[in-house]
Amino acid sequence: MTLWGVLQVITLVLVVVGAALAVWLRDLLAAVIALAASSLLLSLEFYLLQAPDVAIAEAGIGAALTTAIYILAIRKTRRKEEE
Amino acid sequence: MIAELSFGVAAAVLLAFMCVSMLRLAIGPTAADRAVALDTINTLVVTTMVLLGAAFGQVIYVDVAIVYALLSFVGTLYIARYLEGGLK
Repeated sequence: MTLWGVLQVITLVLVVVGAALAVWLRDLLAAVIALAASSLLLSLEFYLLQAPDVAIAEAGIGAALTTAIYILAIRKTRRKEEE
Repeated sequence: MIAELSFGVAAAVLLAFMCVSMLRLAIGPTAADRAVALDTINTLVVTTMVLLGAAFGQVIYVDVAIVYALLSFVGTLYIARYLEGGLK
């Protein structure tokens, strides 16, 4: 496995960890932050696969737009998830 | 070859830093800890993108990092405004 392969494996493991945190955390604001981190690292993975245009789209939608919309939704409803 | 290898090793070290920040994002007691961890991961991702742009030898890749640095700021701004209690 080359060095770039090792980098891709580490990035993908971090993406999966972030997605699992977004599911596991009960605090919805923390879940949104974990989802933003997961989306961020997915953009880095697109970048490592040498697709910079896809990385720009993923960064714009995943990091900025999705986080803003989810936080506005949490603001309008409630923050803690019920059992 | 040597330059590419050193860029790759530096990117691997930055990814190790990202792992530590992800640990803080997982166990952080308050939401402010998690927001700071997310901002740290943002900065590390931008740094890694600039580094890999230098490693691949493409100037256009650095533009992606610039756009990314601009956009990641917006997400952190929204989280901070929510924690402050604003965002009407």
